[in-house]
Amino acid sequence: MPKKLRFAIGAGLMVAAIAYLIVTAVRNTAEYYLTVSEVKAQQAALDGQMLRVAGRVVPGTIAWNPATLTLAFGITQPPAQDAAPSGVRPVAITAGGAVFHVICRGQPKPDMFAPGRDVIVEGRLDRDGVIEARQVLTSCPSKYAPKQPGAAAQ
Amino acid sequence: MPLIGQLALALALILAVYSIIANVVGARRSIPTLLASARHAIWAYCAMVTVAVAALVISLLRSDFSLEYVASYTSYSLPTFYKITALWGGQQGSLLLWTWLLSLFTAIAAFQNRRRNPEIAPYALATLAAVAIFFLGMLNFVTRPFDMLAAVARDGQDLNPLLQNYWMAIHPPSLYTGYVSASVPFAFASGALITGRLDDAWIRSTRRWAIFSWFFLTLGNLFGARWAYEVLGWGGYWAWDPVENAAFMPWLVMTAYLHSVMIQERKDMLKVWNLALIGMAFGLTLFGTFITRSGVISSVHSFTQSGLGPYFLTFLIVVVAVYAALLIWRLPKLRSPAEFESYLSREAAFLFNNLILVGIAFAVFWGTLFPVLSEAVRGVKITVGPPFFDTVNAPLALGLIFLMGFGPLIAWRRSSLDSLAKTFASPAIFGLVTGACAFVAGLRQWYVLAALSLGAFVLGTIVVEFRRGVGARRHLVHESAPAALVNLVAKNNRRYGGYIIHIGVVMAFVGIVASSFFRTEIKKSVHEGEFFQVGPYSLQYLGIETTETPHVETSRARIEVRRDGKPIAMMLPAKLFFKRNQQPATAVAIRSTPAADLYVVLAGMDDQTGLVTFQVFLTPLVFWLWAGGVVMAFGTVIAMWPNVRERAAIAASLRAAAETPAVDEPLRRRA
Repeated sequence: MPKKLRFAIGAGLMVAAIAYLIVTAVRNTAEYYLTVSEVKAQQAALDGQMLRVAGRVVPGTIAWNPATLTLAFGITQPPAQDAAPSGVRPVAITAGGAVFHVICRGQPKPDMFAPGRDVIVEGRLDRDGVIEARQVLTSCPSKYAPKQPGAAAQ
Repeated sequence: MPLIGQLALALALILAVYSIIANVVGARRSIPTLLASARHAIWAYCAMVTVAVAALVISLLRSDFSLEYVASYTSYSLPTFYKITALWGGQQGSLLLWTWLLSLFTAIAAFQNRRRNPEIAPYALATLAAVAIFFLGMLNFVTRPFDMLAAVARDGQDLNPLLQNYWMAIHPPSLYTGYVSASVPFAFASGALITGRLDDAWIRSTRRWAIFSWFFLTLGNLFGARWAYEVLGWGGYWAWDPVENAAFMPWLVMTAYLHSVMIQERKDMLKVWNLALIGMAFGLTLFGTFITRSGVISSVHSFTQSGLGPYFLTFLIVVVAVYAALLIWRLPKLRSPAEFESYLSREAAFLFNNLILVGIAFAVFWGTLFPVLSEAVRGVKITVGPPFFDTVNAPLALGLIFLMGFGPLIAWRRSSLDSLAKTFASPAIFGLVTGACAFVAGLRQWYVLAALSLGAFVLGTIVVEFRRGVGARRHLVHESAPAALVNLVAKNNRRYGGYIIHIGVVMAFVGIVASSFFRTEIKKSVHEGEFFQVGPYSLQYLGIETTETPHVETSRARIEVRRDGKPIAMMLPAKLFFKRNQQPATAVAIRSTPAADLYVVLAGMDDQTGLVTFQVFLTPLVFWLWAGGVVMAFGTVIAMWPNVRERAAIAASLRAAAETPAVDEPLRRRA
């Protein structure tokens, strides 16, 4: 066998092995990344799936028990015009907007967690439409975040 | 000040444009005075960008809140140190810093090559200036650091509390230095492609730049990891976030590049591959900036939607397309007469090391872009998290570590099984014994056992190599062992610096594996005076104290740590509240020992019940990750150190290049 071919086969096998690793890893670890409305739309199909859901914490729904480290709250779809992660701002929850209840057990409450804050919830959706969260991530206000109008002139 | 800065940026843009024209025309028509003028223009452009940076720093220090940038990222009460670091706390400032580093490196490259590389250098400098024009264009027209507010603000909005940290102060400049210095080898590669001088002069002339870039990319990644470890308070240091991946990918490709150029220098092989790698490395630095600025991929760091994405993407596509076209155009001249002879050769080991490194980079790239790709192809956004990156990269990392021991000791061209057995017998036995000891000690995870065995194997090969070198010197020059060791490293600094880096990599790898497999986490809500147990430690919560400065309010808990009933440490985790931007932040307490880190987070306080929640991590051997980083940095400095013999080699290669015309250059082989 010519040397060139021999090395091409070796390198090819290596590349194939890496590709195989990537493909199987994707199959085993993929999670759907959805917004609250998208979850609502396909709720039946997502039953029991690992999800990442982006939404906004509904004010007045937060229950935090520091003794058991249980955090419960509702999330909803942020209004379209400011879907970008941002700081706290007043939210008007329109009647009829989908709200999912989230329960996160055994995790401390994140620093930035607050009513009206945008969060990403990682967990499984159960039959009653409750998200059993493994993790609640608050998107930290970026250092490049757009300025809130008027904030500089306070 | 703002006016001076703005003006300086405009002049810098004009000078950069002029330097390209002068360089290209000067090179095509061979007009030395025009080339000299181009050099002067580059130095002047560098001076102008320096003036702009100085103007912005002075405005930041003076808290000139008529400037939008100053008002957005600082406040009166911000400590002076962070007023300076706010230079890279925001987008415009970051781009200005980037441009400044680029202008400095271009000026240095122009100086270094005022007599060297007469053919490649003008085109390389023009390439660098073209990159600078993109950034200067952004700073002049799109995202201007010197924009004024309509009304002067009374106080600024302050720097993000997460950035008010020592590591965050040094992490971005390190990473930027690494990113930007990668553009020098890239520019020389472009110059080589344009002029057709495709021997290894471009590699040799920029070798130190490449190592310099790698050095800062390494530090930048480690500083970022350290920052995450100390500030984010989740007990880890790496989360495979897109922003982290963006910094990691260029590092991987630069690592591959630094190894494969050795094959070209020694064997005149892999020419296309090297040119492709440096193109990839530079492309990935732009891609990293694109990811972090465009908001295409949601990151927990979410730098979000700044409107710069399309510009960066366009620039990236143009750069990649032009470079790829140049490479394809020159393919016929890049054929190499040499070929791989045996799998049991150093070339082969380096080839596979390259495949793995680029494979890891590709896996990281794929995982980072997966949400975007899946949305485009299947209409659903699917993310892959840390488990994806861990499962793909863990086996690849083992392969890489194995080659790290195997590659440097095996002979070039081909090696017989006999000589292999002789070279590798003792390191292999050492590795197996280490694995067996770990098994006896009770470790059962196959990955950990493999990692420890391979790590020991690599260390064994390095010891063998040092012993061989020292032995030879003692025999030939009759030196004492310590003197022989010092001279050995000094005379072959590139090679032995590399071995020292490998030692650091093994240390870091063991730290990463141990801390990933054996981290324990305990969450506990306690009242004052209560005890709780974490591993061998008993922790007692003694109370909380609140202090206040005009800038920040601090609630600090006191925890006494005991082991076997004896108090060994007082730990003070805290919660901070930054007043100006009304944001909380966490200050973790870490007690680090080589055996394990005790990491305590004050996770919450409940006013009604008086319960205080702590999150405690006990992470074994994570100390060695940081120690390995220090060793890697030390080894890199040794490898970068100027070496008399190497200078002579560069001079010789340049003389040889000057004697052979570019048109039908014979493929020279260096022994």
